[in-house]
Amino acid sequence: MTIQDLRFKLQRFRLLTSTLHPSPFTLHLPPFTLTLAALAISTLFPEKSYAMHISEGILPLNWAALWFAVAMPFVAYGIWRLKTVSKTDLSFKPLVGLMAAAVFIISCMPIPVPTAGTSSHPCGTAISGILVGPTISILISAVALLIQALFLAHGGLSTWGANIVSMGVIGSFAGYGVFKLMRGVKLNLTISAFFAGLLADWATYLTTSVELASGIRGDAPFMPLVTKIIIAFIPTQLPLGILEGFITAGMVSLLLKKRPDLLVRFGVIKAGEVKV
Amino acid sequence: MELFSEHLKKEHLLSKIDARIKLIVVFTLLVMVLSYKGISFPLIIAILCLFLCLMMRVPFRVVILRFSEPMFIASVLLLLKFFFSGEEALFSINILGLKIVGHKDGLIEGLKISSRIIGAVSLLAVLGFATPFTEFMAGLSWFKVPKPFVELLMLTYRYIFVLFEDAGVIYNAQRNRLGYSGIKKGLRSFGTLTGALIIRAFEHSQKTSLAMLQRGYTGDMPMLRQRPFKTAEVTTAILFVFVMGIIWKI
Repeated sequence: MTIQDLRFKLQRFRLLTSTLHPSPFTLHLPPFTLTLAALAISTLFPEKSYAMHISEGILPLNWAALWFAVAMPFVAYGIWRLKTVSKTDLSFKPLVGLMAAAVFIISCMPIPVPTAGTSSHPCGTAISGILVGPTISILISAVALLIQALFLAHGGLSTWGANIVSMGVIGSFAGYGVFKLMRGVKLNLTISAFFAGLLADWATYLTTSVELASGIRGDAPFMPLVTKIIIAFIPTQLPLGILEGFITAGMVSLLLKKRPDLLVRFGVIKAGEVKV
Repeated sequence: MELFSEHLKKEHLLSKIDARIKLIVVFTLLVMVLSYKGISFPLIIAILCLFLCLMMRVPFRVVILRFSEPMFIASVLLLLKFFFSGEEALFSINILGLKIVGHKDGLIEGLKISSRIIGAVSLLAVLGFATPFTEFMAGLSWFKVPKPFVELLMLTYRYIFVLFEDAGVIYNAQRNRLGYSGIKKGLRSFGTLTGALIIRAFEHSQKTSLAMLQRGYTGDMPMLRQRPFKTAEVTTAILFVFVMGIIWKI
C-alpha cells in the first residue's frame, strides 16, 4: 500500500465519522437522508466512482432517443467542421484524434475527492473547449465517450447521446463561454481557465442530474427528483469542480510556460501576449 | 489500463461472426431491453451474456471488473427507489431518529431500472469482448457512419496507448519526486501531468501527420473491406432475434 492509499483510507474514515455527526445546517435540508445514503454507500464502496457518465440502461428508450436526437446535430456540425478544416490542413485530423486520446485519458484518471472519501474523474472538456473550440470539443467528447462505453463500461451506447449532451455540449460550451467571457474582461489567463474548468464541471453535473431524473423518475414529480439528485451529487461534485478548476488552470499555465506557441496556434492568446 | 477487447480469444464462435451482424443483433436486443416494462427479459439477457462471456473464456476477474461499476449504480438506484420513492409502505425503521420507509412500488420500480441496467451492460460487454476494434470500425463505416468520425475513432484508439504510457512515465517521475505528497502539491502535479499530456498529444500529432503525408495521405484513411454476408450467419441471427422477440413479447 502506498502512502497515498493510506491517506485516502484515513480521509475516508474521517469522513465516515463526520457523516455520523452532521452539522445543524445539513440536518435542516429535507433530502438530507438521501445525501447521507449516497455518502454512506460511496464510502462503503472503495472503488472509484465514474458518476460523470450515465451508465448503460439507466435511460428508458424514449429518453435515450430524445437525448440522442439532441446530441446528433452538434456532433454532425463538429464532423462538418472537421471535414472543412481538414481540407486545407491535413494535420488537423491527427491533432483532433490525439486531443481526443488525451481527453480520454484525462477523463479516466481518478482524482481523490476528500469530502466524499472516494475518487472521481475530471471531464477534460473545458480544456479541449478552450483549445480547439466547443464544436470540435463536442466531437472529441463523442469519440472518447464511445470508446469508454464500448471497451471500459463507462457510459453506454444507449446513453451515448445523453452523455454527449452533458459532457460534450454543455461542458464544452460552458468551459469555452466562461473562458472567453473572463478573457473579455481582461482577467488573467490562469484565473479564466480555473473558472472555465470549475463551471464546465458543475454545468455537466447539473445536466447529468436532469438527464438522470428523466430516466429514473417513473411517475414521481420531475423537479423534486432533480433537486434530490443534485443534492446527492454535491458531496463529490462540488469539490471535484474546484479540483477540475485547479487542474485546468495548471494545464493552461504549463502550456503558457512551456509551449506558448500552441496557445497562439489555437487562438487562445495573441502572439503579442507571449512574454519572451 | 486494460481495454476489455484485449481479452478477445480468436478461436471461439462469436469472434468469427461478422461484426455487422453482431452490431445489428446487439442493437436490436438493446432496444428490446430498454423498452421492456418488466424485470425478467433483461435478466434473461444478462444470464445469456454472462454465459457467452465465460464461453469466450474471458477471465472471471475481468467480467467482475466490467460489471462492478454498473452493478454499483444499479444497487444505488434500487436503494434510492426503494427508500425515497413510492407510496405503498412495506416496512419502516428508525435509525438515529430518522424514519426510513421502504416502499413496495419503489422496490418494483427500482428492480425494473436495475435489471434494465444489468441487461444492457451485459449486451455491451459481450460486444466489447467479441469484436476487435478494427472490425468494429469497419462495421461502423458499412453502416454509413460518417468517415471522418470513424477515422477520428481509429486515430484516438491508436494513440490512447501511446499517451497512456507517456502519462505513466510522467506520473512515476512526479511520484518519485514527492509530487503527490500533499493536496496542494498533488493538484499542481496533476495539472502539470495533464498539461504535459496535451503537449505530448500535439507533438505526436505533428509526427503522425508528417509520417502519414510521407506515406501518401491525402485526407482519407483506408478502411477494412467487408466480406459478403454468410447466409448461415444471417439466418442464425434472424432466428435468434426472432426467439428473443417472442420471449420479449411474452
